[in-house]
Amino acid sequence: MASLVLLPILVPLAGATLGLLFWRWRGWQAAWSAGALAVSLLSSILLLAEAWRRGPVVFQLGGWPAPFGISLVGDLPAATFVLMAQVVLMAGLLYALGCRDRCVTFPVFYPLFLFLTAALTGSFLTGDVFNLFVFAELLVASATVLTALADERSGVEAAYKYFYISLLASIVWLSAVGSLYASYGTLNMADLAQRLAADPSPPLVPAAVVLMLVFFMIKAAVVPFHFWQPDFHAAAPTAVSAMLSSVVVKMGVYGFMRMTTLLFRPQAAMLQDWLVVFGLVGIVFGGLTALGTHHLKRMLAYSTLAQIGFILVAIGWGTPSALAAAVILTVNHSLVKAALLMLAGAIASRAEVKSAAFANLIGLGKGAPFLGALFLLGGMALAGIPPMNGFVGKLALFRSGILAAAYPSLAFLGVASILTLVYVTRAFQMIWWEPAPSGAKVKPGGDRLLAPTILIVLCVLLGLWPEPLLALANAVSAWLLAPNAYIAAVMGF
Amino acid sequence: MLDLLKAIAVGAMFAIGLFQLLRRNVIRSAIGLLVITNAVNLFLLMTGAYRGKVIPYVNAVGQRSDALPQALVLTAIVIGMAGFVLVLALLYVLAMRYRTADADAIADLKH
Repeated sequence: MASLVLLPILVPLAGATLGLLFWRWRGWQAAWSAGALAVSLLSSILLLAEAWRRGPVVFQLGGWPAPFGISLVGDLPAATFVLMAQVVLMAGLLYALGCRDRCVTFPVFYPLFLFLTAALTGSFLTGDVFNLFVFAELLVASATVLTALADERSGVEAAYKYFYISLLASIVWLSAVGSLYASYGTLNMADLAQRLAADPSPPLVPAAVVLMLVFFMIKAAVVPFHFWQPDFHAAAPTAVSAMLSSVVVKMGVYGFMRMTTLLFRPQAAMLQDWLVVFGLVGIVFGGLTALGTHHLKRMLAYSTLAQIGFILVAIGWGTPSALAAAVILTVNHSLVKAALLMLAGAIASRAEVKSAAFANLIGLGKGAPFLGALFLLGGMALAGIPPMNGFVGKLALFRSGILAAAYPSLAFLGVASILTLVYVTRAFQMIWWEPAPSGAKVKPGGDRLLAPTILIVLCVLLGLWPEPLLALANAVSAWLLAPNAYIAAVMGF
Repeated sequence: MLDLLKAIAVGAMFAIGLFQLLRRNVIRSAIGLLVITNAVNLFLLMTGAYRGKVIPYVNAVGQRSDALPQALVLTAIVIGMAGFVLVLALLYVLAMRYRTADADAIADLKH
């Protein structure tokens, strides 16, 4: 069943290419794309089941043995991230099917969405540093065009900023790849990890560490490299911004996990210290800017900076329970943030002028109680209030912090968590409690709520019955902390 | 000697590219991006392509060149070209919409 690891990449890729042929028949194209994504989602569920029951699924492309060819590695962390990404992307496609944006009728919208899926999946599954560059480029190119299609005039500006910074990130990654290749003569991650642990002395290695850190920080929108992200979310179509803020930034998180536990084990202690510092700065900066902003989607984008900060702190602590907490927080944040951005888009689609600025949304929620209930549940999940999954994540994080005896940063986290509650309540109060200004008109209908409902139901389920996710997170963390098993699986020892 | 020349060339291209990257004119900054892309391509090529004395994939005896950096550079050039084409297309739309090449004037999203 080694080919199982190919399906989540190949199915959306083939679906996108064939979908382009139906550009004249938009209904068929949308149905075909949804079908392709559903098949791909099914195969990623099978991949996770296989990785859970029988260990990592490794496929050597072209039949070349490990250090020479490109390996695709579907181990437990990768399969978990792939399944998480494809669940959220499926919800995003459902949202696009039921939304009123004109951009989804553009003939390349659904194929590009599938290219995005294939690229994101590929960057989780690949075991080759150069192959990651190729997938990252495919990812940013499709996300850029999806943003540039936006109904708003500012879409192209946001797309240009995003693409420009992402191309710079790719250049940074290529420099890191070159530095590592000059030092060790290999591109395979498992082989690199093995050689680097044996001899971390070549002079270009510290440069490669910093360059890779910068690449993943741009991808995850960590604070000094975050500036493209809020602009992007204010302008992109809802279905796209919900994907970019939830699952695409997780590529950076995945990269940090791999860097500290697999690739750069000799430098891991230094990297982890940096991640804790960047995480704490991100939590405070993201929380305060989310409080100060006047735009609902921008607020959610800044909140992503803070939530990624929590995950970075957990990765930085690096203990088994902290890594498990990082996985739980990652899954929770993907579901919640995608749902909240979709709800923000849905409420903005009911306003007379389609914009998510708070001034435009005051009192709009009166006619949409169901939307308000979903937003309240989502906000509770984001802030970590008991019946929701966010509480499980926060609990795991604080417990691992106590176990790691990291009291100063723990106190910091406790105080900063309150910021989340404040900005979510502020948004809810403005949209659903304040009276609408006289003369404000609410459009009937608006975007359909099926996709955010599914995601919020998943959040509630994971909050009420978190055992499967906890077991999975513990297994992922145990696997991450046993890098020799990964190396043996890929190199075929 | 050749190694030193190549190192100087890469450094100079990085410097020129970085300088152009920081310009306010968006067209100049796009060109800076292209220069840096090519600096990195040259750097990748330097990581082993010319170490050898004989060509790879022939039955000659001696130290062979490493063929992998050339494959990497080829891929990187093609992807870089596609990326730059997309940059130019976006710049064209920006120029048509805003009628300017000044980065400070393209500021609908500034709050």
